Amino acid sequence: MIAVPSIIIFGIDLVKFAVDLGNAYMLFLAVSLSLNLEAGYTGIPNFGKVMFMAGGAAISAAVSGLLAVMILGVNVHGNYNAYIVTVINQVNASLAKNPVLSVELILLGTILAAAIGGFLGFLVSYPAIRLREDYLGMLLLASAQFFQIFLGAYYPLIGGTQGISVPDFFRWAGNGIGVRDVTILGFLTVFAIFVYVYSERVARSPIGRTLRAVRDNETATRALGKNDVAIRRNVIIIASAISGMAGALLTFQVASIGPGTWDRITWTFYIWVMVIIGGSGNNFGVATGALWFSFLSSGITQVQNALPSDLPIDVNWIRYLIFGALLLWILAFRPGGILPEKSSPTLARRTLSRALEEKPG
Amino acid sequence: MVWPYLTSSIIFGSLFGLMATGLTLTYITTKVPNFAYGSFVTIGLYTSYSMNRFSDFSPYMTTPIAFGIGGVSSVLMYLGILRPLARRGSSLVSLMIATLAIDIGFIGIFGIYADYLRYGFNMTDSLSFYQILADFRLFGEQGLLYIAPASLGLITLGLFLLLSRTKFGVAMRASVENPSLARILGINVEKVYVFAWFLAGGFAAMSGAYYTLYSGGGVATGSGLIVEIFAASILGGLSSIYGATIGGVIIGIGENLLTGGGIALLGSWVLDYQKGIPLLIMIITLLLLPRGLASLFE
Repeated sequence: MIAVPSIIIFGIDLVKFAVDLGNAYMLFLAVSLSLNLEAGYTGIPNFGKVMFMAGGAAISAAVSGLLAVMILGVNVHGNYNAYIVTVINQVNASLAKNPVLSVELILLGTILAAAIGGFLGFLVSYPAIRLREDYLGMLLLASAQFFQIFLGAYYPLIGGTQGISVPDFFRWAGNGIGVRDVTILGFLTVFAIFVYVYSERVARSPIGRTLRAVRDNETATRALGKNDVAIRRNVIIIASAISGMAGALLTFQVASIGPGTWDRITWTFYIWVMVIIGGSGNNFGVATGALWFSFLSSGITQVQNALPSDLPIDVNWIRYLIFGALLLWILAFRPGGILPEKSSPTLARRTLSRALEEKPG
Repeated sequence: MVWPYLTSSIIFGSLFGLMATGLTLTYITTKVPNFAYGSFVTIGLYTSYSMNRFSDFSPYMTTPIAFGIGGVSSVLMYLGILRPLARRGSSLVSLMIATLAIDIGFIGIFGIYADYLRYGFNMTDSLSFYQILADFRLFGEQGLLYIAPASLGLITLGLFLLLSRTKFGVAMRASVENPSLARILGINVEKVYVFAWFLAGGFAAMSGAYYTLYSGGGVATGSGLIVEIFAASILGGLSSIYGATIGGVIIGIGENLLTGGGIALLGSWVLDYQKGIPLLIMIITLLLLPRGLASLFE
């Protein structure tokens, strides 16, 4: 059995801290980049981010779990939601011996989540792109609020308010924390890098400039022959597909799902905090913002663990206050974020200088 | 079977009418959807709860105090955060996210306060409480059934008289309709806006104090009501005060009667989707009648 070494300073295991931080960061990075695509580049105030993640997560959890049970031939008496708790150890033990099937189900679940996220994005985009910014923000916030209620109310999907366990598709990488977490970090890193490269390519391409044009002056964009409604719809669909995938990966990581995970504060508000701290409209800035956020948030958790457990005040309240105040401070004193948006190069430098030389006079 | 839903539709109709009126007051003055508005309802909830627990005040007696605290907090939010941000040239999206940040900050403050009550004064229900028993009864019904609609009626009448019969009210309307022209006429537009925000926070906190008499409350109760409040305000047209009042009444009645009827006809599962009804009304309004009920009367 391989073990991950631990370096302990002041009672904190640094390796474990770094791996946990990395896992949180990679997910936050992917989701905040997708929000940056919507809000930073295209000007869509998505205050319902959590809905698209939760949608992807719920479907992938339900379908991958059901498929695992069917393929492994575990008897759930025809009622997956009710019996999965009793057979979860058996399913996990079989999955541990079957890495190929596990990884296939992870990939399938993630792709499915992308499809569901994109579909939800498409549904929401119909009323959304026809509305002004303020109405759009309200509609998205309200829809996400309802979606969380729906997850709790609709038992067949993820077992209602209680939630259900999801088979552990990473069990082959080792039991419990340690090697399993490092493996997950690998998966999440690949995903986040993919999202980063994609966002950066979009931002630097002519499409990126079109997105900014839609954001800054939609009438002018329309006059120049761009279909701003279709552009906004496509951006919502793509960003929501990314969010859905992130939701699925988080679900596979924690190996359980419930409506409580998908609250507005963590997966909408905190994502906005990252984008605004870092600098909306700047992918590297958002990556920096997400890093700062993850670091601060993990730091608060460490402080919480170090304090006695019979603390009279729940540390989460302090977290809400800190991040609420931090966001207001940034909005007031550094509205562009740590790394504000830069003007994008329209042409390669060589082409540009040649064009300038050719200009008469 | 139907009676409880009739009661709750009267009560919630009145409360949402009050809340939507307040939200619309904040929207017409700053043109920013105020996502923190629900937290002013929570201020009312906790004012009422604390006073009831500490000195056995009836929730009705706490209402004026809740109104004052809610109003002052609302003015502080406007003067301390939203107005400076707007003057620095923040975009609409930045201002919306700022109100979201204020809401989260408020939840943090309420949480700390509730934990303080729980550990400092041994109030074990401070994170989730009911005060139905504190209400009086009249003709076999709960007092709120009479007080809530009466309050809404009085406040609507008061607002109507203020806006149409007094000089300050006319100045208020002018400041909302055309701020620059109002300034030229020597109206202190800022004073008018501060007054509007005071009323808005007060209405929210007042409904919060009433709300605990009928339903459970906790740190995020107000934030959770934001869907209904926005739905009501949008149904009313988002920029019409009377529209919002009517919108709130329709949302409150519609949500509860449709749920009651749905349970009678389709089964008890309808209850779980109750919150979907205001959302649905909101979407239909936005698609079919984007300027709300108010546009029907122009």
